[in-house]
This record gives sequence, structure tokens and C-alpha cells, in this order.
Amino acid sequence: MNRFINSVMNMNISGITLTAIILTLTFAITTHADDCFTVNGETIDANSNTRPFVCFQHDAHNEKAGLESCDRCHHSYDDQGKLIEGESSEDKSCSECHAGNVGSQKSFDSNRLNIDLAAKYHKLCRDCHITEKKGPVVCGECHKR
Amino acid sequence: MHSYYSFVTGPLAWIAFIVFICGSIWRFNSLWQLTKKKDSAVFEYMDRKFALRSIAHWLIPFGSRSMQLNPAMTVATFLFHICLFITPIFVFGHVMLWKENFNISWFALPNMAADVMTFIVIGSCIFFLWRRIKLPHVKYLTTPLDFIILMIVAAPFMTGFWAYHQFPGFVSMTIIHIVSGEIMLMAIPFTKLFHMFLFPFTRGYIGSEFGGVRMAKDW
Amino acid sequence: MSESKTVNDNKKTESKKIEDQGIQKGIEQLTPERIESVIRQVINDETGARLKVYVDTCLHCGLCSKGCHFFLSLKDPKFSPAAKVKQTLWEIMRKKGKVSPEFIKEAALIAYTQCNMCKRCAMYCPFGLDVAYVMSVMRRICYKLGVVPLYIQDTAHSHSVAMNQMWVKDDEWIDTLMWQEEEAQDAMENLRIPLDKEGADIFYSVIGPEPKFRAQLIFQAAVIMNAAKENWTMPSMPGWDNSDMCMFTGDYEMMERLKRLHFESALNLRAKRIVMGECGHAFRSVYDVGNRALGWRMPPIEVVHSIEYFNELFEQKKIKIRKKFERPVTLHDPCNIVRGRGLHEMARNIVNATCANFIEMTPNREHNYCCSAGGGVINCGPPFKNARVESGKEKAKQLFAAKAKGAEVVIAPCHNCHGGLEDIIHHYGVEMELKFFGDIIYEILELPE
Ligand code: SF4
Ligand code: SF4
Ligand code: SF4
Repeated sequence: MNRFINSVMNMNISGITLTAIILTLTFAITTHADDCFTVNGETIDANSNTRPFVCFQHDAHNEKAGLESCDRCHHSYDDQGKLIEGESSEDKSCSECHAGNVGSQKSFDSNRLNIDLAAKYHKLCRDCHITEKKGPVVCGECHKR
Repeated sequence: MHSYYSFVTGPLAWIAFIVFICGSIWRFNSLWQLTKKKDSAVFEYMDRKFALRSIAHWLIPFGSRSMQLNPAMTVATFLFHICLFITPIFVFGHVMLWKENFNISWFALPNMAADVMTFIVIGSCIFFLWRRIKLPHVKYLTTPLDFIILMIVAAPFMTGFWAYHQFPGFVSMTIIHIVSGEIMLMAIPFTKLFHMFLFPFTRGYIGSEFGGVRMAKDW
Repeated sequence: MSESKTVNDNKKTESKKIEDQGIQKGIEQLTPERIESVIRQVINDETGARLKVYVDTCLHCGLCSKGCHFFLSLKDPKFSPAAKVKQTLWEIMRKKGKVSPEFIKEAALIAYTQCNMCKRCAMYCPFGLDVAYVMSVMRRICYKLGVVPLYIQDTAHSHSVAMNQMWVKDDEWIDTLMWQEEEAQDAMENLRIPLDKEGADIFYSVIGPEPKFRAQLIFQAAVIMNAAKENWTMPSMPGWDNSDMCMFTGDYEMMERLKRLHFESALNLRAKRIVMGECGHAFRSVYDVGNRALGWRMPPIEVVHSIEYFNELFEQKKIKIRKKFERPVTLHDPCNIVRGRGLHEMARNIVNATCANFIEMTPNREHNYCCSAGGGVINCGPPFKNARVESGKEKAKQLFAAKAKGAEVVIAPCHNCHGGLEDIIHHYGVEMELKFFGDIIYEILELPE
């Protein structure tokens, strides 16, 4: 929750109204379906081309996927860009590494960063689903209407 | 499902792009060589100024008398060709894929715009189909292959629309969408779809002849 | 009035019913092997990327239809430009030359009598595909197979025997010139038609039919040249005929001989330039097709069509007129010098300089309809006359429209057009008079004392 508020505080003014609306909506869904994470809420600025927000049911997913350790998703890399086995990063937000500090960027840049971050999410989920031959892969399977 | 998906987005996608690029280069080159060998006069009469003059008149909507005489066709073709190129390159889902796979990105179309443009493409394809079936002088020229080409072009847009709006069966439809796009790419060098590359040359040549030798307009 | 007649006249042209001795005899001697080998030879040795691209790129969109007066007149999809390709080279290339004699017969009828090679369709096809070129390849194949309509082949024979289109013998030519000189002397005393004069400014050449059927054009030209005090000449020997039916039959070897002789006649006399009579196809053969076949990008000596020459006379005030031609005129733009040389504005300059009332036909200039006689079609003779006149229906409509606005005289600065328009005017009852620019200028010319 803290993270949400933080990111809202850091938003540049131009996007803030829209974001506020989206966040309210997201928040509504988040609270409605229990345990539903919307990755969008973090740094992704809604605009006219975003797809419907994804409801990621963290615990249900992990149970189904039989995931024991967190670092399968919450990975950590060292300075050389090598994966550190066994070290997880669930205390950080993805954007800390993958998108830089969104709040300090101009809106055009922040849009690019959003694409960066979205691409990272996509790859993280989909690549694993393909390797495991399980779980959603095509757009509409996650971005449900 | 997963293996289909990885095949169509992996190896098949690469094959499609390679076939499209290499096939186009090959076809273009073989025509170029043949022109050099057998129709070298073409180079003799080619004239940049007159070629561009002619091409310009035929790229401006209603820039030629032919277009003025066929207003519906003119509107349909122009909208069709513009949307045919713009939509796949700038639709957000595709921009995302370029970002994910090659880490490059560019402007993306608002969803609404992409939908409208898709409708335009499908609508013009229906119009072209109607012409082929209903207008006697077009019907007479039409071959089965012409319908297939029309299908090849319309399919990625119809399936894409389906997948985006998540109509029933959209998961398989997404895979079909990808395949249909790849078929279209691969068909370009080997079918009449290659006209997109030949247009500047055929138009440019007749424009040069008319402008440089015949001193007449050709629009 | 006769507008209704033209509309009722809308019978479909059945090319199958037309029997032509030349074509018939030709196909009787064909075997599938011969057809295949000739086709292969022409396609592999004589054509290249242009033909391939023209046939392969055609999108079957039908937009060229509105470019062709055959289609516009007959409203039959078989007569659209692309349809003519479909019925000829499209099939031939698909079947790699394995076609029947019957097919060749149909293809010959299409290529020789259902296309005027007017190139209007290239202005209506978005890709600028040149159906006239494709038809010329088809004619080349037919010629090499010996399947050529009788009448036009006769003119081609005449070309190869007498080096002119009309079997005019060498002495007959000189006789005609002397006779025309005498005629012209009625108008201008001491007038001469200088023969074989070296170093003249103008080498004047005409088409074979002029001495044969329209000899008055020669004395009219002589009077105009003399009135303008030109240093001009005409050749006494073969080479005087600038026309070329071999270009239209597909006999390119003969066409090259004809064009070479014509150029050489002028060059041997060290003439400064060639001025040609009012003929469209002859101009095409000299300015566009023949010179290229001989390897000249542009003609080796400047060639000037009468329109360009007359325009010059008025611009430089070399001749004067007594009064303007009073009767309202309209102007037919001949394809070969309009789409072939862009002389339409000059033609209008001449009309404005000579005529008091000018009524435009629409569409005009580059977009004007062919008279449907060009490209050697009229030269295919009587068997095809009815079909030809029917394909001129759109032209007839144009003429009627001009007439409704008051035009009485049609100026057609082309021999073929004259022939074609004459038949159209007669068949549809248009009742307009045809004239060359030469006729009009001669009529109103102020003769120097
Ligand atoms: S007659 Fe003229 S318009 Fe018609 S096909 Fe021939 S060249 Fe084209
Ligand atoms: S307009 Fe051109 S491309 Fe279309 S059918 Fe005619 S020749 Fe073919
Ligand atoms: S005869 Fe006249 S109208 Fe017909 S093709 Fe020739 S120039 Fe054109």
C-alpha cells in the first residue's frame, strides 16, 4: 500500500488526474477480489492504448504453479548482470531496477519507461509459461475484458 | 497450445520475415537483371523528374482523371492502403512485441483508432470483393487467386480484431492471427502483392515516357 | 436526333463471325509445336522484364476499362484493356506457349482489330501498365506465325516491294508530284515542288495514301510552303513515304528498313529537318517506334509533324490569312501526336489563329478518345469495318455533343483519324464535315503577289 501512495506522490502533475481515476478503479478491484495484484498500479500510466489491467492472484498462482521460492520471479542480479542464485528481491519494486525513477521523468519519457516495464512483465510471465507449457500466453488471457 | 504459440512466434516468425525480405530482394533483383539484359532502353528513357511527377499525381487522392471517374474506388483504395500499412506497425500490441523482442519502440495508436482502421481495411476488402463479384468488367478479369489474395490480406485484420476484443475462442484466434500475418508477409514476394514494390517503377517508367518523349501528361 | 440510333445500335461485336482470309489461311498452317517455338522465341529473345511486369503486376482491378473506347462503346467486359491481355499473353504465358491454332486466331483478332494501340489505357491504369505494348508483342507473335489480317498484310507487302504503302511505282510518284505542281500553279504562278534539293531547310515527306487518294494535300502543302517562302524539298526516289504498316503487323525487320530509308533520304540530301504531313501513325513510326528499333534514342534528324510546323508558321508570322474560317469547328486530338508528342496545345493555337468559332469536344487533349481506326485497325479492311465503327460509338457521342453545341466541321490532323471518323460520321449519321488543318489553311491563305 505504501508503495502505491509513494508512486502517486512521485507522479508528475500532468498524469496525476488520470492516474488517480485509474488507481481508484484498480484499488476497487484490488480490494474486491482478494489477493489480486495489479501490476499496473505501480508505475504504469494509463493511456488510450493500454490493455485492460491484469489481476494477478499472487498466492493462488504460486500454489497452482507449485512455487516454493520467491526468486523465480523476484530475481536479483549482481553488478555484472549475472543472476544471483537463491537471492530474492521481493522487498523491492520492479521499477526500481527496470524502469528507474519514474516520478522524476518527463511525461514522454515516463511513457517509454512504462513500455519498458510492461515488456519486462510480459517476458517474465510469458517466458516462464512457455517453458513450463502452462499458464496464459496470448494477450487476452491475462488482459481480460 | 504452448508449443503452437512458441512455434508461430519463434521459428515461423523468423521464417516469415526472412522469406519476405529475401524473397523480395530476389524477385526485385531478378527483374532488375532481366531489365538490364533485355529492356535496357527502359533505363535510357527513365527520367527522375518525370517519374516523380507521375508518381506524385498518382499518390495524391483524385490526382488523376481515372481516380475522378471512380470516386468510390479511390476513397476505398487510399484509406485501405494507408490503414493496411499504419495499423500493423503502430497498433499497441505490436509495438509492445518489438519492445519485448528487440528493445525498440515507437509511437503507438490509441486502441480506438486501431479499431477504426481495422474496420476500414475489412470494409474496403468487402468493397473490393463486391467489385470482383458484381462489376462485369472486374468479374471478367478475376481469377480464384484474386479471391485468395483478398483473403490473405483481410485475414490478419479480422482475426486481430477478434483476438483483441476477446470474442469466443480468442486464444486460438490469436494464434491464427499470428499465422495469417506471417502468411501475408511470405506471400508478398510471390504474388501480386508485390505490386507495392513495383508501383514506383511501372508508374515511373510510363511517366518518363509520357513526360520525356511524348510530352504529355499521364494522369 | 440520331443519338437514339447510336444507342439502339448496341449489338455485341462478335469477332468470331468475322472471317479474314489472311488469318484463316495462316492458322491452317499452324502446328502446336510451331506455335510453341515461335512464342518461346519471341518471349525469350525479344521481350524481357517489361512484358513480365506488365502481365504479372496487373491486379485485375478493371480501372483501365474507362480508358478504352472499345469498352466504353461496347460495354462488353471482353474489351477492357486488361481483358485483352487476359485473352492473349496472360494465357500464353500461363501455358508457356502451349496454345491451339484456334487460340492464336482469337488472339490475332484481338491484337490486330480490337486495340488501336492508342495508349490511353496507360493513363487510366494506376500502375501505368502499357497494354498497347503487350498487344504489340501479341502482334509480333502472330506476324511470326504468319497469322496477319489480309488487307494490312497487303500494305506490308507493298512496303517491302515498293518501299511505300500503296504499290505506288517510282515513276507514278514523280508523275503525281508533277501533276500536283501543275495544279498548284493555278493558285500560284511559278510554284515549284523542288525535288532532291540538297541542303534544304525542310525535307517534306508524306504517307503512301496521299499520292494515291488525297493528292490535293500535296499541292496544298506546296502552296503553303511557297507562300511561307520555305527552302524545301521532296525526294524523287523511294524514301518519300513515312508511313509504316509493318510497325503494326509486327514485321519489325521491314519497319527498320523503311525507317532507315526514310531517314537516309533526308540525311543524304543534308536536309535540316523532316516535316511530315498530317499523319499520326507515321509520326509514331518515325519519332517513337522505328528510331528505337534502329537503336536511336531519338530520331537521327529532327522530325516535325505538320501541326508543329503550322504552329511555327503562325508564330513567326510566315504566312498570312485573308480571313478566319467562319464555320464552327471542333478538333479531334489524334492519339499518336497527342499522347505521342503532346501537340494538343499547338493544335489549339492553330485553330485559334485560323478559325472564328471553336467548340471543344470532351474529354480532350491527352484524354481524347481514339477514332478506333488507329493502330492499323482500319488497314485490316472491309471484314472489320462494322466492328470498328461500332467501337467508335463513344467517339460518335462526342461528335454529336460537339454538334449540339454548333460545330459543323471536325478538324482531324491525321489520315487514319480521317478514315475512321468518316466511317463513324457516315454510320451514325452525324453529318459533319471533316477537314485537315492543311485544308483550312489553304482555304483562307493570303497568297503573296
Ligand atoms: S485501344 Fe487504346 S485504350 Fe484500348 S486497349 Fe488499346 S491502347 Fe488501350
Ligand atoms: S487498371 Fe492496370 S492493374 Fe488494373 S486491370 Fe487494368 S491493367 Fe490491370
Ligand atoms: S487513327 Fe487517329 S485517333 Fe486513331 S489511333 Fe491513330 S491517331 Fe489515334
